This record gives sequence, structure tokens and C-alpha cells, in this order.
Amino acid sequence: MLHLLSKESLTINALAVNFDMTRPAVSKHIKILYGAGFISIQDIGRERHCALDQKGFRELQSWIDYFDQFWQVKMKKLDELVNKQTRNSKKTKT
Amino acid sequence: MSKQKVTYMQTEIKHRWFYHCGPELIWDFLTKPELLSQWLMSNDIKPVIGHQFMFKTKALPAMEFDGNVYCEILEVIPNWKLSYTWKGGPGDGSINLDSIVTWTLEAKDGGTELNLVHSGFGVKTNAKIFDAMNGGWKKNMAETLVDLITKRLTHEATDR
Repeated sequence: MLHLLSKESLTINALAVNFDMTRPAVSKHIKILYGAGFISIQDIGRERHCALDQKGFRELQSWIDYFDQFWQVKMKKLDELVNKQTRNSKKTKT
Repeated sequence: MSKQKVTYMQTEIKHRWFYHCGPELIWDFLTKPELLSQWLMSNDIKPVIGHQFMFKTKALPAMEFDGNVYCEILEVIPNWKLSYTWKGGPGDGSINLDSIVTWTLEAKDGGTELNLVHSGFGVKTNAKIFDAMNGGWKKNMAETLVDLITKRLTHEATDR
């Protein structure tokens, strides 16, 4: 569905035809995508047009970028603690 | 229906680190609150399936995150695998981060390889909406569509 939307804005009817879905089924799916910020909806005349909205993607990407770095830092910190612990246990053994 | 393989947008985070100790120590650092808090965040974890706990850290207003991570243990295989949900939001009850953290441990080369997968970033499908729909809508179709959404079709996709 987003593949079609990435080319142009499409009406609900056009989307339904492409996916061999009933119009109400497409509408319900559009609601999910709209609620998540991935598409924008515009009523033009009597038709409802959907187009890609970058907001949802940007939000996702910002979480991914944040945690990618976060985990890198944390796993490294664990390494320091593990090394400290194994150094200390070696000292107490001698 | 075959799954399309698409690679435009990363939807899960993977990290791997090798530690010079046995898996039991890494497991302790993952599952004991006092040890876990030394490298990750303040918490009240318990390695019991279904246990709900929190991580507390500083808020990130720009990310609409109030500093609380809500978790529930999903899987526990001692010294081997640990996974939990990882959810957060701005503090008004809404959730804008709904993901899963999975740790797997492997003893090798005299130490332990720790793998992290932080996944689940993407559009969450509401099971109730699936139930309400009849005809023309199959769950696997919806999941493929959700896959497409979270993988961001900004390039020409090669269709099946």
C-alpha cells in the first residue's frame, strides 16, 4: 500500500482495487497508518486521498538512532565492570 | 504468501560484545537489580516470566519520553536467554515506544558472547481491528503491509 502511495497520493477506491480488498477494509487499515503518523489524508471533492507522511518514519528512526548508540555505550560499560570484577577476584585469590 | 525481503530502513538494533568471564556472571549482571543498575539503569527486575518492572532514568523531552521504561519479562532461560518488553511514553499514559529487548548468551573462547536484539519498532497492529473486519482481510496480509510500512518504501520496491 505504501509502495503505491510513495508514487502519488491515491484515493481509497484506487487502493482497494490494487489490493483486491473491500473499500471498508482499506479504510480501516488507512486509519491505523494515519494514527501512527505514516500517512496524511485529504478530502478532495468527494474523494479521500492518502499520501505518505514522513512524521511517523522520523519518530521511529529517531528512537532507533537513539537506542543504537545507547546500547553501544551500555555494553561497553558492562565490559568495564566485568573486567573490574575479574581483576578483583584474582587479587583475592593470591 | 512469501515474505518480501526489503532493506531500506533498519527496524531492529543488534549489538554483540565479547566479555572475558563465564555466562553466569553476565547473567547476574542482566538479572540482579543491584548489578544491572551499575551499567544500565535503576530497576526492579526479577528473571520471572510475567514479572513487570521498570527502569528509571532521566527524561528526554525532545523524544517525548518521561524517563520511565515499562517492562515485562517474556522469556527466561538461565545463562542463555532473557527477553522483555520495553515501553515508554511522555508520561500521560500514551505509549510511543513499544519494543522488545532480547539478550542471548553464548560461552565461547573462554568467555561469553552477549547478543542484544532490540526490536519491535514499527506500527503496532490492533488485534481488535482485525477481529472487526470481515472478508478481504487476512492477518498475514496485514502483517506484510505493516512490514512494508516500517521498512519505508521510498525507493522502487521489487514486488513479488
